[in-house]
Amino acid sequence: RYVRQLQRLQLLFSPTAADARGARQFVEEAAQDFARQHPDVVLYVSPRSGPGPAPVLRAEYLNGTVRDELIASKTSEEVLQLATKLANQSGLDIIRIRKPFHTDNPSIQGQWHPLTNKPSILTVQGPRLQPQ
Amino acid sequence: TAMAARLLLRAVRPLLAGAGRGTGLGTAFSTAPPPEKKRWLRAYLELQRLQAPPQRRSEKPNWDYHAEIQAFSHRVQENFALDLLKTAFVNPCYIESEEARRRQLGLDKDAVALQLQDNTGLAERGLRFARAYLAQCFEGAYPELPAKGIEALVNFLTSQELVSYVAQNLSIQDLALCRDFPAPPDVLQRTFLAVIGALLESSGPERTGIFVRDFFIPQLIGKDLFEIWEVVNPMGLLLEELTKRNISAPEPRITRQLGVSTVLPVYFVGLYCDKKMLAEGPGETLLAAEEEAARVALRKLYGYTENRRPWDYSKPKQELAAEKAISSN
Repeated sequence: RYVRQLQRLQLLFSPTAADARGARQFVEEAAQDFARQHPDVVLYVSPRSGPGPAPVLRAEYLNGTVRDELIASKTSEEVLQLATKLANQSGLDIIRIRKPFHTDNPSIQGQWHPLTNKPSILTVQGPRLQPQ
Repeated sequence: TAMAARLLLRAVRPLLAGAGRGTGLGTAFSTAPPPEKKRWLRAYLELQRLQAPPQRRSEKPNWDYHAEIQAFSHRVQENFALDLLKTAFVNPCYIESEEARRRQLGLDKDAVALQLQDNTGLAERGLRFARAYLAQCFEGAYPELPAKGIEALVNFLTSQELVSYVAQNLSIQDLALCRDFPAPPDVLQRTFLAVIGALLESSGPERTGIFVRDFFIPQLIGKDLFEIWEVVNPMGLLLEELTKRNISAPEPRITRQLGVSTVLPVYFVGLYCDKKMLAEGPGETLLAAEEEAARVALRKLYGYTENRRPWDYSKPKQELAAEKAISSN
């Protein structure tokens, strides 16, 4: 069955800083709907007062990866899009995929080896036996 | 990353400006934050943060146990009775450590005794159900497989490493209450089996069966039968199987050979019953090739080859459809 890999989203922002306006609007308008649509993700909203670091959306996945995404100077819709993107990702590292294909069954009829189509020692080769 | 660095250093400028103003003009600007974090102090605090020992997730900020448990039940798409689920996560080592801590803090005997229940009962019930259900599944899917093979498969699927691996990837190590951190694999195994037991109590055996099937059986993908089941004498086992089916004893013959006089010879030994080929297996020496041929023959007989039909995950719908058909007629 499908198990959503996103465990929890932490929304860390300041209630007064100017670039956290999108985050504040997201919390006021869209955060509850997002939480209702994704009941398996725990959404923590923690405003930290005073001049702190930039507003960040921290995503924790089931395999332990923690991903921080800056939401400074983003609108509420962009933050919602970012949150849905994180919710649909798995926690694997985002690195270059070497090949766009992968298969668990590389060979269906058996991989070729030098003896595949060679007749075995036991087959007797000789003049065809006449039916009697 | 440059923008991120600029934004993260944004907080530094008001602090440094405040420090400069504080030293230069005295107490003129009282709203500036105190100049505590000098550049060298920040580097030292960062080093301390990186070298700190790993902590449980429940001890880090932003943790709501009830919400996490609800999210867990939604993530697994199962309806749990929440109090049963909460008892399932409580381990006996946690209760002992909590009672010892309370006794050390000098509380009365009434306050020392915790109101929590263990998960050992739930874990036992979960283990029994999981083993019975998996054995039933394998008996249905591989009817030729003997009891020892089924037992080996079930033991592998309920072994500590596998169950703790599945539990880790379902974030049970965050929710389980236990004494040590990180939770040892037997604790994770007990907790996961207790979760299965709690599901059994709340939703009944059918849903729990589907749960066990969905999380345990995909762990067999890509695994070979004899990696899981240690067979010491495959030839003897093969002879027993063939006598049960009234087939004569197999005759091993060399089918192909390569590089006989080299360091790495390859022999293909075929097993023939009544001059018909049963199986063929490669090996470095003749004995190894014969043993491998016996293993291939056993795999064919038990129906556990690599090209068998994949596991059928759709049974309950067929049963429901059958029931509907019967009730409508």
